[in-house]
Amino acid sequence: MEFKVSLGPQHPALHEPISLRMTLDGEIIRDADLKLGYNHRGIEKLAESRTYIQNLYLTERICGICSFSHQTCYTQGVEKLMELVPAKRGLYIRTLVCELERVHSHLLWLGVAGQEAGFESFFMYTWRDREVVMDILDTISGNRVHYSMNTFGGVRRDIDELQKKRILDSLSLLRSRTEYYLHIGANEPTFVGRLAGVGMLSKEKAIALCAVGPTLRASGVPMDVRKDDPYAVYDEIPFEVCTADSCDVLGRAVVRVKELMQSYNIIEFLLKNLPAGPIKVKAPRKVKENEVFSRYEAPRGENVHYIKSNGSDKPERLKVRAPTLANYPATIAMLKNGFIADIPLIFAAIDPCICCAERLVQLDNPRNGESKVITFSQLRAMANQRYKNVNFKKKESLWPF
Amino acid sequence: MNVEAIVQKINSEIKDKVQEVSVTAPLRINIKVDRGQLLAVLQYLKDQFGFTHMATVSGLDLGEQFEVIYHMANNLATINVRILTPRSDPRIPSTCSVIPGAILYERELQDMFGLVVENIPDPRPLLLADDWPAGEYPLRKDWHFNRPAEIIPGGK
Repeated sequence: MEFKVSLGPQHPALHEPISLRMTLDGEIIRDADLKLGYNHRGIEKLAESRTYIQNLYLTERICGICSFSHQTCYTQGVEKLMELVPAKRGLYIRTLVCELERVHSHLLWLGVAGQEAGFESFFMYTWRDREVVMDILDTISGNRVHYSMNTFGGVRRDIDELQKKRILDSLSLLRSRTEYYLHIGANEPTFVGRLAGVGMLSKEKAIALCAVGPTLRASGVPMDVRKDDPYAVYDEIPFEVCTADSCDVLGRAVVRVKELMQSYNIIEFLLKNLPAGPIKVKAPRKVKENEVFSRYEAPRGENVHYIKSNGSDKPERLKVRAPTLANYPATIAMLKNGFIADIPLIFAAIDPCICCAERLVQLDNPRNGESKVITFSQLRAMANQRYKNVNFKKKESLWPF
Repeated sequence: MNVEAIVQKINSEIKDKVQEVSVTAPLRINIKVDRGQLLAVLQYLKDQFGFTHMATVSGLDLGEQFEVIYHMANNLATINVRILTPRSDPRIPSTCSVIPGAILYERELQDMFGLVVENIPDPRPLLLADDWPAGEYPLRKDWHFNRPAEIIPGGK
C-alpha cells in the first residue's frame, strides 16, 4: 500500500518555500518529487535592463548566505569581459572575504545539522562561534549579510593593520573551537550513529547527477573549482581539497569541518602575504561584445554565471546557476529508499515537517488499503456537524459575551 | 592532457561531427555542433576526456534563432558545446540519456524559452507559476513585463 505525502511550499518548519511530494510505503520513501519556483524573482530578466554596476548589487541579493559568492562570480566574469586586470591587493582582500564567508556558512550548516540530529547544544555552540566570523566580516565591510565589497577592478574597502591583528586573534579562537568539533564529530557515539549511513549517494550516482560541492566531495570525488579552474589568487595559495569516502551525511559533515580548517589556513596565508598597493583599478562603463563563463566555488558548491555582453553598458544575458539547483537531482536520489525520519537530516537546511501530511486522503484500513477521498466541502460539512453536536457550555457556566 | 591536446584530438577524431572548435579564453573551449550531432559529441567528450559534469545549460535568444549552450566541465577545462535551433521550429534533443543530471536545466529551458526538448523524461513545468499563461516565455527578448495597474481597495 503506497500513499502520497506532500510537504510545503508554505510551512513553519520550512526555511524556504519548496514543495516536496513523496510516495511512501510505510515509513520508507519510494519516490520523491520536487516542485520549485515559489521564490522565482525573475532576476535574470531584470539583469538585462540594468547596467553592469547596478547588477553588482542585484546579483548580491540572489542569496542571503552566499551573497558574496554570486557577486564575486559576476564581478570576475565582467572583469574578463572588460579585459581588466584587477589590483593585486584587491584580489587578496576579495579572496579573504570569500573564505570568511565559507567559514560562516559551514559553521551555520554544522549547527543546522546538529539541530536536525537532535544535538541542540552543538547547534548553540557552532552558532555562537559563527558570531565571531560575522563580527570579522562586520569589521571589514561594515555589514553582516550583504558585504558590498566587490567592484570591477578590485574591492571597495581596504583593511588596516589593526583589523589584520583582530582577525588573526579571532582566528586562533575559531581554530581551537573547530578542532573540538572535529573531536566531537568523530567521538560522540550518538551523533555519529545518527549521521552515519543516512542519505547514501554513491560516487557513480553523484557524478551522473552532476552534484556539486561538499555533497560531491563527500562521495569521494575531489572536484573543487578553486583547484580545477583557479580564480582570484587561489593559484598562489597552498591548500588541499577535502574529501570523504563514506557517501553519507556524516561524510558531508566531515568534509565541511575539514574545509573549515583549510579556510583558516588560507585566511592566515592571505593576511600574512597581503601585498601593498592600490585596492582597485578604474573600470570602463561600456563592455565590448563578448561572452564569458565564470565559475566559482561557493560554500555549497560550484556557482556558475554566464554573461553575454552586446557592446552597451547593459548585459545582453545573465545566466545564473546556484549550487543548490545542481544538487536537487542528487537530493531526490538520496531520499529514495530512506526513512521519513531522515528527511530533515538529508534536506538539512530545508527542514520539512512530516506531521502536516495530506489531509484529504483518509486511510480506512491499512491492511487492505481501502481509502476514502473526502473533498474540502465534505470536510467542512463534517466539521460543522461535529461542532453542532458538541456542547461547549460547561455545566452551569455562561459564555461571557 | 591540456587544452591544446583536447582541441587537437577533437579535430582529428570527430571532425565530421563538429562545425567549429576554438579556444576563447584560458581553459575555455567552444565547440559548435549541429543539433542532430549533439548527443554523439557529448557522448564522445564523456568517454574520451571524462566530461561528465554539466555545469548548466544556457539559452540565448538571437532573434531568428535560439542558441543553446551546454557547459561541460571537469578538472581539465570547460567546454561550451553550442547548438542553434530556428525560432519557427525550436526543437532540441534531450541530453538526459548521456548526462542524467541535465533534467532540471532542460525543464528550465522549456519554461523560459519555449524550446521543445525531445524525449525529455519529465516534461512538466519547473519554475513558472501554476497559473502562468500558456505560450508566454519570459526570457525571450520580445517578452516584456507589464506591471498591472495597482488597485487600492476603497481608493479612488
